[in-house]
Amino acid sequence: MVEKISLAHGDGGELAHQLIQNVFITTFGHHDQAKLDAAILHIPQEKLTISTDSFVIKPTFFRGGNIGKLAICGTVNDLAVSGATPLYITVAFIIEEGFSIPQLQKIVSSMAEEAKKANVRIVSGDTKVVERGSVDGIFINTTGIGVINTEEMLPKTIDKQDVIIISGTIGDHGISILSARGELGLVTELNSDCASLNDLTSEVLNVSSRVKMMRDPTRGGVATTLVEICEDFNVTIEINEDALPVKEEVEGACDILGFDPLYLANEGKLLLIVAKEDEEKVLAVLKKFDIGREATTIGRVSEVETNGRLFLKMLLGSRRRLNRLAGMQLPRIC
Amino acid sequence: MKLDKAVKIVVKGRVQGVGFRPFVFSIAKKYSIKGTVQNNMDGVNIVAEGTAANLHSFIEQLQNNQPRLARIDHVQVEATAMFENYQTFTIIESDRKGKSSLVIPVDASVCPACIAEMTDESDFRYNYPFINCTECGPRYTIIKALPYDRPFTTMEKFKMCPDCKEEYEDPLDRRHHAQPIACPSCGPKLSLLSMEGTVVTTGESALEQCKCLLAKGAIVAIKGIGGFHLACDATNETAVRELRNRKKRPKRPLAVMANERNTIEEITNLSEAEKHLLDSPESPIVVVKKNNHQLIPECVAPGMKTIGVMLPYTPLHKLLFMKADYEVLIMTSANPSGLPMLYQDNEIFSYLRGIADFILTSDREIEHPLDDSVVQIVNNELQFFRRARGYVPDPFFIDTNINGIVALGPQQKNTFAIGRGEQIFIGPHIGDMGSVEVTDHFLHELKHLMKWVGIKHEVIAVDKHPNYETTSLASEMECNRIIKVQHHHAHHVSCMVDNQIKEACFGIILDGTGYGDDGNIWGFELLYGDALSYERLGHMSYYPLPGGEKAVKEPWRNAISLVLSHCEGGLCHLQKLFPYKKSEIETIQRMLKQNLNSPLAGTCGRLFDAVSALLKICDISTHDGEAAIRLSELTDETEWVNDYYQFSVIENGGLLEISLKEMVVELLEDIQKRTEQKRIVQKFHRTIVEMCLGLLMKAFEQRPYLNKQVVLSGGSFHNRFLFYHLVRLLKENGFEVFTHKKVPCNDGGVSLGQLVIASAQTTNKKGE
Ligand SMILES: [Fe+3]
Ligand SMILES: [Mg+2]
Ligand SMILES: [Zn+2]
Ligand SMILES: [Zn+2]
Repeated sequence: MVEKISLAHGDGGELAHQLIQNVFITTFGHHDQAKLDAAILHIPQEKLTISTDSFVIKPTFFRGGNIGKLAICGTVNDLAVSGATPLYITVAFIIEEGFSIPQLQKIVSSMAEEAKKANVRIVSGDTKVVERGSVDGIFINTTGIGVINTEEMLPKTIDKQDVIIISGTIGDHGISILSARGELGLVTELNSDCASLNDLTSEVLNVSSRVKMMRDPTRGGVATTLVEICEDFNVTIEINEDALPVKEEVEGACDILGFDPLYLANEGKLLLIVAKEDEEKVLAVLKKFDIGREATTIGRVSEVETNGRLFLKMLLGSRRRLNRLAGMQLPRIC
Repeated sequence: MKLDKAVKIVVKGRVQGVGFRPFVFSIAKKYSIKGTVQNNMDGVNIVAEGTAANLHSFIEQLQNNQPRLARIDHVQVEATAMFENYQTFTIIESDRKGKSSLVIPVDASVCPACIAEMTDESDFRYNYPFINCTECGPRYTIIKALPYDRPFTTMEKFKMCPDCKEEYEDPLDRRHHAQPIACPSCGPKLSLLSMEGTVVTTGESALEQCKCLLAKGAIVAIKGIGGFHLACDATNETAVRELRNRKKRPKRPLAVMANERNTIEEITNLSEAEKHLLDSPESPIVVVKKNNHQLIPECVAPGMKTIGVMLPYTPLHKLLFMKADYEVLIMTSANPSGLPMLYQDNEIFSYLRGIADFILTSDREIEHPLDDSVVQIVNNELQFFRRARGYVPDPFFIDTNINGIVALGPQQKNTFAIGRGEQIFIGPHIGDMGSVEVTDHFLHELKHLMKWVGIKHEVIAVDKHPNYETTSLASEMECNRIIKVQHHHAHHVSCMVDNQIKEACFGIILDGTGYGDDGNIWGFELLYGDALSYERLGHMSYYPLPGGEKAVKEPWRNAISLVLSHCEGGLCHLQKLFPYKKSEIETIQRMLKQNLNSPLAGTCGRLFDAVSALLKICDISTHDGEAAIRLSELTDETEWVNDYYQFSVIENGGLLEISLKEMVVELLEDIQKRTEQKRIVQKFHRTIVEMCLGLLMKAFEQRPYLNKQVVLSGGSFHNRFLFYHLVRLLKENGFEVFTHKKVPCNDGGVSLGQLVIASAQTTNKKGE
């Protein structure tokens, strides 16, 4: 019989102690810290960044990862794109009564594995168990702390002709999650791109001081991320339809489902705005990494103006304005 | 002669800037009428005194014998007790002040007098492609600023020669104040350019070379009044196919221009009304029925019973056909996919590279691009597909003050509308707002027309659809208030205004897709109401559109959803019908189950799409509305079938709903039984008519006290069968029926409805 989480696993008693010992401490390490109420950290710099995120995803396990890996990558990436080196992470679980313990173990293991890869330490944690139906399986919150030791990026210096670079194909995560749900009958070998980007970001920042901004285009996809940049920093960006790297499987799935890859979530892609003179340099660095092999320029900053807008230059020559993702893509064609 | 009667006459319509007062003067003289004629803000006012018989003749002449460019919308004759005993008939100064009263003239086709001169070897404008006079030529398209005067047009750079100047200044000359007046020595010149931009040749030799090129099958971009056309010999199948390939327009019907009406009569069956339209100064593209003549290859309008035809409307077009080796040319507007019509030389090289072989242009610049208007005659009534050249920007008159209200129109077939006083100016056809180039063009034309009309937008009306471009444009414009108007309410009111109806009435709106108040897609609606408010009485039941917009472009998806949503054993039918789409059908079935990206819709246009795909007429639309249009082309409105598919009208939460279940099942049976396609199509068409009637009758049964007037609006009413038979049946059942006359029933008419609704809602708010 598969062991299941029961409400008692979260009440602070014996079962809870066992769960923490057997699953978390064994996997994450840090026996000593677990005895304290809070982690005591040594932080070498003055400039800290901190970021928090909660992860809810259906299904919990998917091709290329699971909710645990995602929870580490997500927070690592949020720190990384702000130019920081991630150092520490805290994790908090909210688990539904009846959740399988072996599955929890798998999730925790991949968190440990990803943390090791990303070179961050998991330093504090919490577990709550809630009644059946109160959450859908398992929710995870992570908070990360990082330090900034390179020069700060200056989004205010974004200028005409700066280029927009993406580190690889778009929409992989979105489609792989849809197909993992198994409800659509999409047969695909596609993996989620779920990955930590901090090696990429630190290398890029090492070679170029002309990176104006980095983002990880998760929910809402590349389009929504760029629209936000355009609005927040008063720039108009033009991306080219024929320059967008999209895997054939993603394109096929989008075609049948009526989705646009520009609006699909990514979990291991880096979007950069770089001065034109460093374009090649940055591309070369990205391509050295496995997850950056397909890095490419997808557009440029065409104007610096208030009411910045995002344009998609179509194959046939016209330009379409892109807005942030709206709930449902209602047809406008009459 | 005793003058025993006095009348006041108010004439509204296009009666200013077209020589209307001199005309009134001349007929007054003819019938010994004394009095005055005067322009005012909304038209021409006449005071006439004379004998009863003479006044009668005077008024008759006034209505039936006007100058070429005049167009009377409304004549109001009122007897007056004020008998002034005028001794003469005089033209008195205009009663209007400020620039807001300025008239914006419309472009007109070349007139017979100019053609006569142009073909007269002894005339100094012999063979001159830019000949014009006060009764013809470019107007709106060349105006940079008002008042309409040469220095404020693109003709400003041409200095009039003494000959032209003399005519221009002579009050008795037919070119008196003809602003674009020109001749070979002082006016614009033709040039033939290569796609690299080099001048191949100019003047008459450019014309001759162009004719040779066209005769040989070349594709030439030709500058007309409102923009560039792509032209090729329409009878040369290879050339037509090449044009389609290059322009990536596999199936969209192409309009043709014929040398003369006789040629058109050879290939089509023209009614008197159609002949009249072809010859009119507006010179629109008229969509008419083809006959069996083989002159025009099928690929010009594949699968269509109809073809869009026009006659040469500029002197240049006339000359292109003179002693030419072709009789019919394709004349399709030169706009690459997603872009507005091209009208400037500098943009044409980049956009038409690889599409045109040569360019025939001139140094007369176009200031405001304007598409050809497209119309048809159904049931002896004029129907607009597209209201543009020849009609824009003639104002509409209503009797409420709508000053300062600007309606931005819908997403596709967009037009905007501007209110000034009691006039509504509907702007030119803008088209699909899907690209920035088009929205920029929209803003440019909107700004200009507002400036000309002298209006600042205080209230902006837009569609309720959250993702229409006009919604974000409105949020970027400064104004007091933005009013969101439901799409089909706008259609409803548009048709009411078109027919001057004010009292609440029924509306049957058959349309493509519009955003509904409940967040679903509407388009088969029974409404009751007026500009202030409306009630939705009934509609076609919803079913999901898997893939959203994709299902509009690819009707086969829609067909799958229609069948799966209404017919239990539907899957095996579908697998037989679309054996090559096995896995897609499964995915779509799951999308429907999961409610993934599948908005609910109940629209006439989409139902037509689905049936078109089920009947294998069109499963992917290569241009908007293709599937529905090609289905409708298979009907014949002169035939009425004796049976139709069953359907039921059910009540669902106080709302009537047409259930499609029976129809879908019976239709599938017919397909399975291999019933003749045409018969299925006829039955289906009749079913739609019966659905509308059934829905309306049921609503009326429930509330017999409602007004028995019905307006019909929405793009589906371009369908000749629906239009003809629904009007007929409604009348037979005692309803008074109103259809569009001056604006399109399609989305081109939506801005008019938006504007009047916004007006009603603002005045009402103020009154509270
Ligand atoms: Fe519509
Ligand atoms: Mg975050
Ligand atoms: Zn003329
Ligand atoms: Zn001259």
